Amino acid sequence: MVEVRNLRKRFGPVAAVDGVSFAALDGQITGLLGENGAGKTTTLAMIGGVLKPDDGSIRIDGADTRSSQDGRRELGALLDHKTLYSRLTARENIRYFGELQGLPAADLDERVSSTLSLLGLDGLADRRAGGFSQGERMKVALGRAVVHGPRNLLLDEPTNGLDIPAVRALRGWLRGMRDRGICILFSSHVLEDVLALCDRIVIISKGRVVADGAADAICRHADCATLEDAFVRLTAPGSVQPCLPTA
Amino acid sequence: MPAHSLIVARKEIVDHLRDRRTLASSALYTLMGPLFVMLVSFSDQAGGKPVVLLSMMSVFALVSAFTGGMAVAADITAGERERRSLVPLFLTSIARRDVVFGKWLATCAFALGALALNIAGVAAVMALRAPASLAANALPLASWVLLGLAPLACFAAALELLASAACRTTKEAHTWLTFVVFVPMLVGMFLVFHPISANGWLALPVIGQQLVVERALGGAPVPLLQGIVLALATAAATIPALAGAVAILSRDDVLAG
Repeated sequence: MVEVRNLRKRFGPVAAVDGVSFAALDGQITGLLGENGAGKTTTLAMIGGVLKPDDGSIRIDGADTRSSQDGRRELGALLDHKTLYSRLTARENIRYFGELQGLPAADLDERVSSTLSLLGLDGLADRRAGGFSQGERMKVALGRAVVHGPRNLLLDEPTNGLDIPAVRALRGWLRGMRDRGICILFSSHVLEDVLALCDRIVIISKGRVVADGAADAICRHADCATLEDAFVRLTAPGSVQPCLPTA
Repeated sequence: MPAHSLIVARKEIVDHLRDRRTLASSALYTLMGPLFVMLVSFSDQAGGKPVVLLSMMSVFALVSAFTGGMAVAADITAGERERRSLVPLFLTSIARRDVVFGKWLATCAFALGALALNIAGVAAVMALRAPASLAANALPLASWVLLGLAPLACFAAALELLASAACRTTKEAHTWLTFVVFVPMLVGMFLVFHPISANGWLALPVIGQQLVVERALGGAPVPLLQGIVLALATAAATIPALAGAVAILSRDDVLAG
């Protein structure tokens, strides 16, 4: 489970994240939706530990990340940085991150092999990553995020640049992970992906949460027939009250 | 955790040993010095003067301590920022200082490898062209390499990592690293033609290394203690450079590449 409370981050005069609070639950796919520059990536980067929040708290499986690294070990993250080491093979790329995440040497090879199989990469395992397609690179990047078996997964725009078969394969894989009880926090600006996958949606606009709930509840609150119309209405300044869960 | 640093170092070494183009380029650059010394040894002016050849060798060896790890340092910091492959590393639970320390260890490995190639090249030239001089100077030269040049290569690696960490592209890093390499070249050439006698300079990296070899080749004894002080001073100078690289890679703008 990932909980963020009153998260704030400024870059100079710009408040990129301005009091964001939500919880992503186990066994659910929570979508983080917002326009470009809304604060999605910044929020995920803070949860992932790449950026330090100016204020607020982040808890991963109950552990406050300010005082303990325990939560981070249960986190697998894939931000919009999917570059692989091109001179290393798919297996070596994933193995490297398995070692960094503290997988014991006795288990490492087996875990890497099972991750490669899970992602359908057996045929590419020992090929250097330099010649991989977008979809293949995405799979290896996912592999290095999940090789250590995290219970929480952060994904930032994972379908960017993927063709239709790759998107469908990724969606199926994410549903499988959700059904195994993994908490998945998934950011996107593509409504189709969000509608296809997410059990709950958090809409961020200008660094603030303007909606948090299931897609149909958000549409009802915004009095709109489609999530797209609800998104436009909720992100227009002053047009409608935010749709937030009751305490 | 030291274990994390070793994991990072091993990966960087394996990765860059596969970059044959850069390895070949570094090797050619490193062997330029011995080749130049070989050509000069055939000249009428310097051919009969081994001390001239050894002085030239000392400048080239000093420079190779800096050039050996340059390409790797640029690629594993600025290059990774440019390719946006640093962030996945920082998303793991590994501390930034462990990442930097591991990258430094890898850069040192390549710097020391290039230095060894340079020294082997010069030794081969001297064995061919001035074997008596080589035999007479073998011990002071070996001490100079171990206590002087090896720590210098590791200090140079740290300096190059610091300079590269502040750059967002490999091209930018190579521009700044050219200035970093220029410093020992300038020092070396200056001291060849304008020797310094004061002992205090012996404790300064780069200058100290050049002075030690000048004295050794001139027949003046260099006390072991001074050699050790120079090695320790050079090693100590490495620490703020690495701390600076950690500070730079801990900044928020690393997310933007």
